[in-house]
Formats: sequence, structure tokens, C-alpha cells
Amino acid sequence: MSTSRVPLAPVERPIDSKPWSKVAPRLRSTVILVSVLPLVASLGIWASSGVDFIVALFAVFLPLQLLGGAIAGFVGYGRRGIADGLLVVVTFFLSAFVLILLLSVVWSVFATGFQALSPHFFFQNNKYVGPTTDLSYGGLGHALVGTILVVFFTTLITVPLGVATAVYITETQGKSRGLIRTMLQAMSGLPSVVAGLFIYSMLIASGVSSYAGYAGSLALVPLMLPTVSRVAEESLRLVPKELRNGALALGAPSWRAFFMVTLPAARSGIVTAILLGIARIIGETAPLLLTIFSNNGTNWNLFSDGMASLPTYLFLNLSFGTDGSIARAWGAAATIMILVAVIFTLARVASAPRKARKAKK
Amino acid sequence: MVESISHLQTENINVWFGQRHVLKDVSLTFPGNQVTALIGPSGCGKSTFIRTLNRMHELIPSAGLSGKVLVDGSDIYDRGVDPVDVRLKIGMVFQKPNPFPTMSIGENVVSGLKLSGQKTPNSEEIIETSLRRASMWNEVKDRLGDPAISLSGGQQQRLCIARGLAMTPDVMLMDEPCSALDPGSTRRIEETILELKDSMTIVIVTHNRQQAQRISDQTAFFLADDGEPGHVVEFGPTQTIFTRPSDDRTNDYVNGHFG
Amino acid sequence: MSLEHATKRDLQMKPYRFADKVFFRVAALAAYSAIIIILLVLIFLLQRAYPAFEQQGILAFATGVGWDSSVEPQIFRIGPQLYGTLLIAALATVIAVPMAISIAYFIVFIAPRFLATSAIILIDFLAAIPSVVIGLWGLIVFGPVAVGWAETLHEAFGWIPIFSHDAGTFANSPFIASLVLGIMIVPIISSVTREIFSQMDQEVIKAAIAMGANRESTLRKVILPTSAGGIVGGILLAFGRAMGETVAIYFVLNLVYDKVNWFEILNPEGGNVASLVLSKFGEASQTEIEALMAAGVVLFVVTLIVNALASFIVNRAQPWRNV
Repeated sequence: MSTSRVPLAPVERPIDSKPWSKVAPRLRSTVILVSVLPLVASLGIWASSGVDFIVALFAVFLPLQLLGGAIAGFVGYGRRGIADGLLVVVTFFLSAFVLILLLSVVWSVFATGFQALSPHFFFQNNKYVGPTTDLSYGGLGHALVGTILVVFFTTLITVPLGVATAVYITETQGKSRGLIRTMLQAMSGLPSVVAGLFIYSMLIASGVSSYAGYAGSLALVPLMLPTVSRVAEESLRLVPKELRNGALALGAPSWRAFFMVTLPAARSGIVTAILLGIARIIGETAPLLLTIFSNNGTNWNLFSDGMASLPTYLFLNLSFGTDGSIARAWGAAATIMILVAVIFTLARVASAPRKARKAKK
Repeated sequence: MVESISHLQTENINVWFGQRHVLKDVSLTFPGNQVTALIGPSGCGKSTFIRTLNRMHELIPSAGLSGKVLVDGSDIYDRGVDPVDVRLKIGMVFQKPNPFPTMSIGENVVSGLKLSGQKTPNSEEIIETSLRRASMWNEVKDRLGDPAISLSGGQQQRLCIARGLAMTPDVMLMDEPCSALDPGSTRRIEETILELKDSMTIVIVTHNRQQAQRISDQTAFFLADDGEPGHVVEFGPTQTIFTRPSDDRTNDYVNGHFG
Repeated sequence: MSLEHATKRDLQMKPYRFADKVFFRVAALAAYSAIIIILLVLIFLLQRAYPAFEQQGILAFATGVGWDSSVEPQIFRIGPQLYGTLLIAALATVIAVPMAISIAYFIVFIAPRFLATSAIILIDFLAAIPSVVIGLWGLIVFGPVAVGWAETLHEAFGWIPIFSHDAGTFANSPFIASLVLGIMIVPIISSVTREIFSQMDQEVIKAAIAMGANRESTLRKVILPTSAGGIVGGILLAFGRAMGETVAIYFVLNLVYDKVNWFEILNPEGGNVASLVLSKFGEASQTEIEALMAAGVVLFVVTLIVNALASFIVNRAQPWRNV
């Protein structure tokens, strides 16, 4: 048999092994060669002939790289290596392609958005700001206030609901657990604009209320609830059954066992649930446009008058379309992304200790 | 010796999980101030049985039961009996040590009192007494504030015993409390058990025949034949079960021929 | 002996004391709020939408063409928008799936551990980018680039009907909208896929490789068949999400009202129910708002169906999620 010998039992790769160092030298040089050549060739063709970058990428680089992958596979593992080579090239190419696009979102937000940011941008509001006003005046302070108030009120309503729902699903043997789960899944697919229409119809069109911050908060509840209850459910499920049983065996009523033992053990997971829920809704635009409308001034009152929020501020400025307003839109985008990044980091920090503890066991 | 120690008795306990009949007609008597060992090969239902004695059994979905568990003559499964009250009187120690990881050593000891809503003005006293009775006071008295999970496995298990003792139960159920522990820790727990029986009734499930011989006053031998529910083959004074068993299967088991 | 069997009781963990009853009741009440919210959404939308459905006819409303409040009687039909929603969501999914699966495959089966961990964090973070930010990026940064791609596609493949182009600019076409949307849903699909990949029995894969299978045939014959159900479910979830998306495509899609653009995806003529609501809502009259409510109802019902299908498939493929 000329094919390489296959080990009888698969061996776990040691953590600090260097798999590439075990690659045969011939294969390694081939890999280097076929990784460099297509790149050089397609860059050359792109630069000299002036074809579109995207054409050069898909019509020159990708075929060459596929060929290279196939060759490398063949050199390393014979005929059956060809498909492997192609697979690896396709995987790398597609992953890199979309990651670059997504990172371009992040990069453009920070590169462009940061130019708009300045202290007064965070503290001033949109009063006396016209389409042609430049960035030296006015800001999104009012929108920041609005977003914080609206999201806070949503969180206030949703977190108890979501955590209690998770309690129902994990801690009780209630009969409707399947139904509830189905409903939450249905809710997680609720289009956000429909959530806005719902609250508009219930509160505003019916004359119960005019545009106000709390209406926006209510519209965000069905969007946040599925995230909070799902993550909370998963974290409660991770609490070992022995702990619950230990508490119950001591003669604890279920509610005390939950609040004194289960909940503290799941605390970081619950915090993560809250943070991910906030991240889910902090950028929601459509439901707020239909419920809180807008306001150029700073409104501290959730229960009367229209309000601004970061996403609707972004949206409206982008709709204006003047240079100044688009710059403000980027500033708002950067602000939102900073908030998301902060929340996201907090969520990771909150869920980290649990992982460490689990790893120790 | 106190005469108020509870007398525990089961009548024709049958247990099901869903449609599966796992335990058949277990009728045992656990007199006060005695240690009763439940022995038998794995899967014979002895752990399931001990969980019926303080109504932990019903925490498993689809659990079914018939028969009676009588504490001083009244059935703990009677209508209207709150399992919470049952478990206050009948404590339990599990196979795997399960101290509460978010609490310190001291907090763990009085956790049962707090969990059952009792005021603990003299908590320091309770902590000391309970830890002394679980013979671990000297080891931990200087670090009561440390997290409970910083203890070794054997210490964690003794902490769980102390936690149960703080509740001053009449009956203590122990489900293979030493199976995860080293011989040293096992010996200390056995000593604790022997001291505790002055003040309570103890039922212990054990895999370890020598342990049953060392600490128990009476022994019940459980067995489940293939596909059949588990049942008690023989029940009597430990001395008799281990030296002059009347059933061949008991004889084979206690002499280590199987299981 | 039949006596004991006759008295078998099914035991249940149930609350006895008052505080526990309150605890269980509160949890149940909160859980039922999910049902109540869904019902409220349907009730309030239907109640507002009813006149529009009655005047236009449900079927004509959902499938007909034309949206004009200046003629008498007013015409409100969302056929082009409903079809456009499905078309764009489907295209976005087709674009996103290969990339999302590539990333998941890379993370689980190729990348060394440290790289996999950071890639997971990155993808999760990208999944949290709000859609309004994607919309901004799509309009200002990506749109002009994608117009170039669309032109190239048309030049090279214009003879294929779907790449034909006969009206206006290349901007604001269903093609560009689905690219933006596709990029947005990649993280969603890839995190579901990654989860399914990593829950797979690694032993099976190692065994396959030990038996001499190579990467490609392991993927084709072992990994994909075992995880297909879950991946399809994840794709449907993302499809549902794409259908409900509003602001990410609002700025990069031009809506047409009087005809259905069946397949000319490079023309700046698209449809999208959510964008319709957003663009008409500001200046809408009472009756037009009722029609927009009706559009919301239709969109909700369609997404409900897709999501129900998705969760059915996911649950069947991931039994460990239902304990």
C-alpha cells in the first residue's frame, strides 16, 4: 500500500502541540507556494489590467487558489487529498470574505463615527440643530437619555417576567412548559416593526396615550423577553440538581431553596441573560419610531411627550441625508456600538467565572 | 437516651417510575436510636427506597408510590402533609457532597435554619455544636468564613452532615455517604454516625458490607432480579444477617460472592 | 397484593404551603404572559386591521398589486411587498448559508483552540450589531461597492434573466438588499451551526478519520447528514429573522407598488412589508394606517409559520434542548 499509514486509534492532540511542525517538508513548501502564488498572480492581473477587484477576486484568485489547494492536497495525501485541499480553500475563502465584510461594518462605524464624537456631542441635544448645522454644535445627549430611560423601563418589566418564566420551565413541573416554550419561540420571531404596530394600535391609535417613552418600552418587551428567558433558563439548568435537592432535603420550601441556593448559583448566568437582552433591544429602531416618535429636546419623563433614542436619532439623521446629518448618524452608530461593546464585555465577564468553575470539576 | 426519638416504619412500599415498577412491598421498621443499614447490589432500589422516607422521591418526574411511611404512627404521605415539614424532621445526606458553593463554611452549617425560615440569634453556638458533633470543629474553626467548596471532599461531606445536624432531626437518612471518600474520611464519618445514634434514628444505604457490619444494628438486604422490581430478601439484626443468614442469596452477598 | 397496586399514586412536586403556592403561581403567571402577549398582538392588530381586510378582501390584500390612497376607492394591496419580502429573505439566506457554515466548520473542526475561542467571541459580537447600524453601513459604505458588483454581474451574466437590468440605477435593488441582509444573518446561522457541530459526537468523526476517511468525505458523509436537521432549522430561524427585518434594508431598497418584480433582482424595484410600514407610516391617513396594520398581521402570520417550522425542525434535531 502506498498510501500513508493510518493510526489505529485517534490520538488526542496535546494542547501545546504544533501540528504544522509535523507536516512533511515537501507538503509545507507546497502549501506556502500555493498560498503565495495565486495571491501574487491575481494582484498582478488586477493591478495591470484594471479589472474590478471583485472580478479579480472571484475570477482569478479563487480559481487559482482552488487549483493550488488541490495540488497541495495531492502532494500531501495523494488523490484523496484533492477534495480536502478544495474544502479547506473554500472554507477559508468564504469565512474570510464574510468576516472582512462584517469587520468593515465595525471599522467604518469607528473610523467614521469617532470623528463625530466630542464631549458636547454626548451632552447637547438636537434643539436648534438644522440640516446644515455642523458638528461643532448639538449632539445626541437627548437620545442617550431617551435610550437609557426606555431600555431601563423595558428591562424593569422584562427581567422579572423572563426570569420567572425560566423558573416555571426549569423549577416547577408545570403542565404547560412545552406550550410556553413554543410561544417564546414564536415571540422571538416577532418582526420588530409588528411589535411597534401592536403598541401603536393598543395605546396610541386607541387614544389611551400619545407618543411617549413608556409606549416604546412596552413595544420592546416582546423583543427582549425571549432572549432573557432563554438564557436564564439555560443558566438555571446548569445549576446542579444536587444543590436543589440539598436545600429541599433540609426542609426548605421551594421558594427559599430557589432564592437562597439556586438563584445565587445561577447569578452570573442571570446577569448574562439581562445583558444579552439589553444588547438585543438597544438598537431597535422601527418599534420606537412608531411609539416614542421623536423629540429634539431632552425629555426625562417616560410618561409624556415624544422622546428621542439613539437608534431613532440615527435613523432620522440618515433620512435627512445632508452631510452634517449623516455625520451625526455615524456618531450615533459609534455610540450605539460602544454601548453594545460594553454590554457585551460585561456579559462575557459575568459568564466567565462559571466557566472556570466548571472547568475545575 | 431520650425517649422521644422517632420510630420509623414502612408498610408495603411500592415504587414506580412511570410504568416501571422498581420496588415491591418493602415493609421495614427502624426503631429509635438504632442504625439500620440497607445493603444490596447496585440497581436493587435501596437508594430509591431511602428517598421515599423523606419524600425526596417525588421530586423525580413520573414518580409513583403506594404504601405507607409511618413516623410515630402517622403516614408522611397523608393528604395535607407538607413534605417540607417531613424533611425538617427527617434529614438527608447524599452520596455526593453538596455544600452550597455560594456560602461560607459557617453559613452552610446554619443554611438549613435560614432555608426553613428560622431565626438564628445564636448561630455561632449552633455552628460550633453542629461542627463538633460532625467532628470537624477543630479543623475549620479558624476559617468559618472560607467558601465551603475550598474544603476537601471528606470535609465537604462532614460539613453536609453538620448542616443536617443543625436542624436537630429525629431521623437522619444517609445515601452512600462515604462512597466518594477516602478510607480516612470514611472512618471519621463512621465514628460520627456511632456517636449520633444516641440522639437520632439513622438509616444508611451502603455498598460497603464491612461498613454495614461496623456501624449498623440491623440490616436489610435488597435484591432485584432481572426485570423484576427490587424487594427485601432478608431483614434482621446485623449480627444475624452477616453470620447466620436464612436466605442463600443473602449468604452469597454478604460473603462477597456477587455484587 | 392487588390492593397495593390499586392504591398507586402518581406523586408530584407540588406546593403545599402558602408561600410556595404564591411562588409557583407567580412563576406560572409570568410564563403565561408569553401566551398573553402573543394573543394581545394578534387581537390588537386584527382589530385595527379588520376594516382594511374587509374593504380590500384578505386574499386581494395579500396578493394583489397597487397602493394608492389618492384614488377612490383607495387601493391597498401588498402583493409586491409580500413577494419581495420572501424573495429578499430567501436570497439573503442563500448568500449567507455557505459563508455561515464555512465559519462554523472552520471554528469547530479546523481552527486551533485559541483562534476558535476568539472567533466565537467575534461572531457573537457581530451578531449583536444593531440592524440600524447595518443599514447605515449598507447605504453609505457597502451600497456603492455592491453597485459595482451588480454591474459586473450584469455585464458578465446579463443574458441570464435574473441578472437582466432594464431600469434606472443598479442601486437599491433586491440584490443589494439581500447582500446586506445576508451579511447580517451570517452570525445567526453560524452560531446555530457551530453549536450543532460542537454538540456532535466527536468520537464519530475521529472514528471516521481513523478509518481512513478524509476531511471532505467526513464532512459530506458524516458531519452534514447528522447535523442537517439542526442546520436547516437554524437557517429557517434566520430566514424568519430576515423576513421581519426593517431598518437594515429600508435604506438600500426601492419599493415598487404597482407590479411584482418576480426575478429581475438587479433592477431597483423591490418589495418589503416591513419597509412598507416604515415608509408609509409617517404620512398615513386613518384608513392607510389600518392597511398598514393589516400588512403587519400578514407579515406576523407568515413569520409565525416559518418560525413554527423552524422550531419544529430544530427541536427534533436537538432533543437535548428539551428536557
